[in-house]
Amino acid sequence: MRRYEVMVILDPEVEERSVAPTLDSFLGVVRSAGGAVERVDVWGRRKLAYEIDKKNEGIYAVLDLSCEPETVSELDRQLGLAETVLRTKVVRPEAH
Amino acid sequence: MAKPPLRKPKKKVCVFCKEKVDYVDYKDTALLRKFISDRGKIRARRVSGNCNQHQRDVATAVKNAREMALLPYTSTAR
Repeated sequence: MRRYEVMVILDPEVEERSVAPTLDSFLGVVRSAGGAVERVDVWGRRKLAYEIDKKNEGIYAVLDLSCEPETVSELDRQLGLAETVLRTKVVRPEAH
Repeated sequence: MAKPPLRKPKKKVCVFCKEKVDYVDYKDTALLRKFISDRGKIRARRVSGNCNQHQRDVATAVKNAREMALLPYTSTAR
């Protein structure tokens, strides 16, 4: 098990109250694979430094997980397929 | 021929070494903004005063932040 930090930028058209359930549906992958979701931090709407897909703002969220490497790559793959997700980034803050 | 007066440049101490930071977080844009110019370029080590290792860490953190649109790749504002 390794600790990961996943940052997700969601489409600003997603409604504020449906953000948490949307993220939670993705996190089902982690839970079913025996990983643990330690923290879900929704930053809310934030202006993007540059335009992504013709959008000037996005909803930022940071997820702290601990799971197997295959599980994160699967999570990242599924996030990438979702149309409400503008961008993702997975980092391991402990490894550097 | 007047020689320019010799001045010893003051040696800067790396702020991260002073604070004993071992991970530069790409999410901390307030901190990273100190290490980019107003044009969005990463400040050179002779300007920022960082040590070799921390300058690298700052550079990767800035690049990660750019990918997530937290910092600009370029900014036209002068």
